[in-house]
Amino acid sequence: MLSEQILKTSKLTKRFGNLIAVNQVDLEIKKEEIIGLIGPNGAGKTTFFNLITGLETPDEGQVIFKGTNVTTMSPHTICKLGMSRTFQVAKSFTEMSVEEAIRVGAYNRRGEEEVQNKVDWALEFFELEDIRDNKCSDLGLSSLRKVEVARAAATEPELLLLDEVGAGLTAAELLKLMSELKKLNQETKITLCVVEHVMQMVMGLCERIFVLDAGELIAEGIPSEISNNQRVIEAYLGRRSYSESSSTG
Amino acid sequence: MNHKKNQNLENLLLLFFLIIALVAPLIFGSNQYNMLLVTTVLIYGVMATSWNIIGGLAGQVDLASFAYLGLGAFTSGTLLIRFNFTPWIGMILGGLVAVAFALLIGIPLFRFRIKEVWYALTTCALVEILKVIFNMWEEIGGPVERYLPYFSGSLYHMRFGSYVPYYYLILGMLVIALLVNSRISRSKLGFYLKALGEDEAAAEVLGVNTRACKLRALVYYSFLIGVTGAIYANIYGFIHPSFFNGQESIKIAILGIVGGRGITYGPLLAALLLVGTQELLRASLGAEVSGLYLVVYSVILILVVLFKPKGIATFFQYRNKKPAKQEVKKKNVV
Amino acid sequence: MEVIIQSLFDGALMGCIYALIALGLSLIFGVMNVVNFAHGNFVMLSMYFSFWVASLWGIDAVLTPLITFPLLFIIGMLVYYGIIDRTLKEHYTIQIAVTVGLMTFLGAITQLAWQSRPRALSYSFIQGSIQFGGYTIALSRLISAVISLIIIIGISFFLSKTWPGRAIRATSDDSDAASLMGVDFRKTYALAFGLGSSLTAISGGLLMTFQQVDPTMGLRFGLLSWCILALAGLGSIPGLLISGLIIGIGESLAMSFLGSQS
Repeated sequence: MLSEQILKTSKLTKRFGNLIAVNQVDLEIKKEEIIGLIGPNGAGKTTFFNLITGLETPDEGQVIFKGTNVTTMSPHTICKLGMSRTFQVAKSFTEMSVEEAIRVGAYNRRGEEEVQNKVDWALEFFELEDIRDNKCSDLGLSSLRKVEVARAAATEPELLLLDEVGAGLTAAELLKLMSELKKLNQETKITLCVVEHVMQMVMGLCERIFVLDAGELIAEGIPSEISNNQRVIEAYLGRRSYSESSSTG
Repeated sequence: MNHKKNQNLENLLLLFFLIIALVAPLIFGSNQYNMLLVTTVLIYGVMATSWNIIGGLAGQVDLASFAYLGLGAFTSGTLLIRFNFTPWIGMILGGLVAVAFALLIGIPLFRFRIKEVWYALTTCALVEILKVIFNMWEEIGGPVERYLPYFSGSLYHMRFGSYVPYYYLILGMLVIALLVNSRISRSKLGFYLKALGEDEAAAEVLGVNTRACKLRALVYYSFLIGVTGAIYANIYGFIHPSFFNGQESIKIAILGIVGGRGITYGPLLAALLLVGTQELLRASLGAEVSGLYLVVYSVILILVVLFKPKGIATFFQYRNKKPAKQEVKKKNVV
Repeated sequence: MEVIIQSLFDGALMGCIYALIALGLSLIFGVMNVVNFAHGNFVMLSMYFSFWVASLWGIDAVLTPLITFPLLFIIGMLVYYGIIDRTLKEHYTIQIAVTVGLMTFLGAITQLAWQSRPRALSYSFIQGSIQFGGYTIALSRLISAVISLIIIIGISFFLSKTWPGRAIRATSDDSDAASLMGVDFRKTYALAFGLGSSLTAISGGLLMTFQQVDPTMGLRFGLLSWCILALAGLGSIPGLLISGLIIGIGESLAMSFLGSQS
């Protein structure tokens, strides 16, 4: 049961004119795993997320989610099947309150009678109760990030994709978020796939890591394997030497 | 819970308005000119409130309201003229015809990645195209007014000797439009519409079928306008291609935006203020005022949009300042 | 058959002028993603200005753009800084609303100023017609079409060879990157809006050599421009020209067969 596949991409490719953003990526995620997806800026990670959630259509390849071919399905259908995500540039519902924003997600699986329960659960789980009535546009960064996660989690997905939720957070906020995500994975059995630049988060949270560079999958393995992988180190060289952050992470 | 306080105030104001509206005919009743005036104001109120469903809640600028009005009018009116068919059912059919045309544009244009502007433009074109078609369509339309059979008091034909019964019909439509607005905003559809208005991509990945939601809003809106169109025909006693008025359709959109997109009673407020004033001025200054008033409308729109984009109804709403402060405090502690 | 070919000629010539009008719109929509509902009314306004200037000072319609071009440019910049600039950060319905308001405003004041009856200029030195293989071609239309083509090509050069022109293109591609290169995107937007609006002055002046103007024409030009833009897509000037020709010919054929209803 635990080693059952939840997501598989085969030869996934996306071109924008002459630029190959995602190049023949073969990737497999198993249920209840916490997966990390890392790579230098511009490696194609967000495009990859867009492809599997249906926001963009690949030029080649397939996306199989829970055994179903979702390659050309619309995002809302994919969400109904059990996949949701957050966005790198927070797409918050600025005019809505925290509670209202989460409610939008909760309606995915709940009818009018039960939806409030789900909203309350999310507010409690992510410790957002105090600010439930605040407008999303008034929130500080770490609360905003949590609302994004809470909103997506309220859809009751089986696979949750998180796009750089750690960026810009303080060390304390980061630790808090990481523990909440771990708890989410353990209690609700949601599979997590995390795109991150903050190495501390990736190394501390993920069981397996995939590395993208210039649209290609260049490495795959457990954290210790990745941190010693020559190709990975070279990919990051010139931006931020990976060996620096591994000593702090 | 500022929300609750807000709602109570708004509900009270609305109730107050409805009571006044109910007794208004007792004051004006004898003066047919004034009755027509207030009825006209209410018609704009109904249309603007219905527009709110597509323009305010769903965030699609629709410039075709009079297209649907005209379609409703022509459907019901033609059935009455030719087949002596009662407008009480004719108006439902009028609504359905309006819905059919609305879906004709909505289905292709509400697909996920198509920009809103194309919908706005197409609706703008729709009114004009329909005007031309009905002008050329000799059997149903044609350049001359087609008069509905006259009765001084026939319930079956929905024709009355005074404007008062029509006034109550329109008031009834207004109440229905307000209720529909209110129910949708509180429901799942309302939340989904608000979300997709904020960010379509974010809404989609949260399970919102953006296209279906917009289409549902469109159906509610066009149906309400279509039904109103049937009543409109009966009020004026004739049907004519000039009903397909692009300028007035834009006015309805202006009322919806100036009043407050998404606020149930906002467009009604704008209608009462703007159309009310215009009609009063027209009564004293004559028909000349229409051209001048259009200038006023457009200037008000631009001013409101620049300085109070949420609409004039927000003058009645509380500001939620307290909770935000608490948030900042928490951050410092961490 | 003869009617069709005559319509083809007339339509093609009109198409060139329509393409110029659409070009102005394309500059605005392409660069700053603003849907200028008022564009058609700018054309109409230009025509009225041309009429006014020509009547006032007795100059030929063809020369009026010398005055109306800078006038519309200034008006365009004013509109940009006064209105459009403030709405850039707002919800898209606000942006649509504000240009719809502008469209209504322009329509209303031209109606007040010049009333509903059509206005026309009586004489232009490019009047007259020539015969071409048995078909009549109005000289004014021909020259207008040629001038429109010249301007379109000129703008094309401007966009690719001059600094402001390339700033416009860069900003429309990626305003963040462009600003990193030293392009003030707001100034560029203002320039694009001003230019897009002032191009209507040229078409307006040309149109006044053989057409009349009334307050309802704004809508017609607006819708035509958007049809051309929808067909052509953004970014391609040759595409714009071809769409212009198609629309022009289409309109001409429709008018021949259906009478002057629309």
